[in-house]
Amino acid sequence: MEAGALSNPVLRARRNLTDRIGDPLLRGLSGLAAALAVAVIVGIVYEVIHLAWPAIQRFGIGFLTTNDWNPNPLVQRFGAAPFLYGTVVTSLIAILFAAPLSIAISIYLTELAPERVRRPVATLVDMLAAIPTVILGLWGILVLGPFMRDTIEPALNSVLGFVPIFGGDPSAFGYLTAAVILTIMATPIITSVTREVFETVPGDLKEASYALGATRWEMVRQVVLPYSRPGIVGATILGLGRAIGEAIAVAQVIGGAYLINASLFHTGGTLAAQIASQFQNSAGLQKASLAYLGLILLVFAVIVNVIARVIVQRGGIKDIDVTETEAAAL
Amino acid sequence: MSKRLLGVLLAALALTLGVAACGSSSSDSSSSGSGGGASSPLVGAGSTLVAPLMSKWQSDFASKSEITVTYGAIGSGGGIDQITSRTVDFGASDAPLTEEQFEEANAQGEVEQIPWALSGTVPAYNVSGAPKNLKLSGEVLAGIFLGEITSWDDPAIAKLNPGASLPSTKITPVYRSDGSGDTYAFTNYLSSVSPAFKSKVGVSTQVKFPTGVGAEKNDGVAAAIGQTDGAIGYVGLAYAVSSELNMPLVENSAGEFPEPGVESVEAAAAAVSKIGPNNEISLAELPASAKGAYPISTYTYVIVPLETEKAEEMKKFITYAITEGQSYGPELDFAPLPKQVVAAGKKAITKIGS
Repeated sequence: MEAGALSNPVLRARRNLTDRIGDPLLRGLSGLAAALAVAVIVGIVYEVIHLAWPAIQRFGIGFLTTNDWNPNPLVQRFGAAPFLYGTVVTSLIAILFAAPLSIAISIYLTELAPERVRRPVATLVDMLAAIPTVILGLWGILVLGPFMRDTIEPALNSVLGFVPIFGGDPSAFGYLTAAVILTIMATPIITSVTREVFETVPGDLKEASYALGATRWEMVRQVVLPYSRPGIVGATILGLGRAIGEAIAVAQVIGGAYLINASLFHTGGTLAAQIASQFQNSAGLQKASLAYLGLILLVFAVIVNVIARVIVQRGGIKDIDVTETEAAAL
Repeated sequence: MSKRLLGVLLAALALTLGVAACGSSSSDSSSSGSGGGASSPLVGAGSTLVAPLMSKWQSDFASKSEITVTYGAIGSGGGIDQITSRTVDFGASDAPLTEEQFEEANAQGEVEQIPWALSGTVPAYNVSGAPKNLKLSGEVLAGIFLGEITSWDDPAIAKLNPGASLPSTKITPVYRSDGSGDTYAFTNYLSSVSPAFKSKVGVSTQVKFPTGVGAEKNDGVAAAIGQTDGAIGYVGLAYAVSSELNMPLVENSAGEFPEPGVESVEAAAAAVSKIGPNNEISLAELPASAKGAYPISTYTYVIVPLETEKAEEMKKFITYAITEGQSYGPELDFAPLPKQVVAAGKKAITKIGS
């Protein structure tokens, strides 16, 4: 249509210069912006692989399963297993806590809370995300760590001590303390997204559910949650991404051990925390190995993202089926 | 559609190449330097231990010679890395270069290291119910950090502290999880007194301790010690002196338990006259005649390429650092360099640019 208008010589002559260059300029600039985003990703991946190359050559794929990190210049044996394990364990525990917590907060804020409570509580939850991670880590060292060591961990140990992950001596620094810190970081992110999603649930559906005699709990369970499932999954993955990538606060509380430890109370490490605490002061093979950890972290993040997309797409289709069958049954 | 995608990808590729080209050209220009002028600035990077002294030197040296020195306290490993790739004019490291590191750094022309500051590393502990200034020996410290001595009422500790009431609290060793000159000094000392420690852990700015809790930087270590009953760790002398940490007295080879401080570190340095190849000096093995010498003392080094366009500036700066600059040491808890080390340093400086 545009092209048609321009091909008319009379109309074309009437247009001034800015009108005429507007279209190509828009196309050029937005194309450049898109290209820049792609270029940055390509550049980062190239640079990380380039930096990690000596370690990739030296350790190969076995790097992933080597349970050791010995920077002593006379030994120089590096492996990713302790940090891969730490990343998986801490972020999974964090999501296990944060997802239900966030969904509960969102349900309260969208369905249950009185109007004058909603805004302030929502703002406060959002503000949790604004706390600098270094401050959160410091709080972890000074307050949370000792509390975990003196109260939570002994309680867990006395009830569930026969399970290896709850065995061992309580410690202020370790996987569990880091996981709790990550929970606090992931919760506001998941909450703010799920809250938005819950607010998009059409009022008609809710009204219809009430009209059919559903209690509030039944309405939430049968309408709000199924309708929002893809959004909830997306929000959870977003929180998981935050937990996997967090470096500073984790480095402050996890205790920087270079081995896999079965007990959650024990000190350990994560990919991001290890890179953050050692990269600046590293050289040679150690630097390359840290870059290798970075590459693994990158791949890890991509995998999580892809899984999230698959779940969201599948979940979306399934939801329609479910609501339709439920509607039919009703 | 596919044509448009191709266009975006091509543009992306062009941009990537452009960025890469920029990166390489800028590092080229910085390594070739601006050269010539009498007062081109010096750029260095490395050791965090020497950083407080360095900031004094920077302002004082700039006012005396009109040469500005830029320093990035990025850690010893980073300093070695940057001087190896010649992205800086000098590197600073708390640990002397290993043979392998020398080989890598020499690949672009020879480098040399010169000791230019002297300090100590101090253990610190937090045990409720234990007396202040517990006495510990190197063997006991090694046993603790190897995980062999696990409670504070261990007979080995009791033997050094007759009559002291020691609780049965579990010992939690605290170490630096980032690279540190203090870790180097501490492991160097423990390796010299304990063959088991030497073979199991070794000497480096970063090692793998078999047990304990890792914390970042001096303040992280201090916080971890403060928060954990039964903890023992190590911090830099300057940090220990200004903090309220409880410091044990460590036995030296003369069988004394000297207080950590500038005087005892100076005594340790005075007792060692042997300067190794590459100006490497270890203060870990002190002679039994070294009275009042602090056993965990350490030198920190500057690393310079012999071929540099800023040879004159570099010579002036290092000469200043090891002579006049030493006078700022004591107020920052650095001990002044002994005469023989200054002499060796001056000799080494003449090789720069020749």
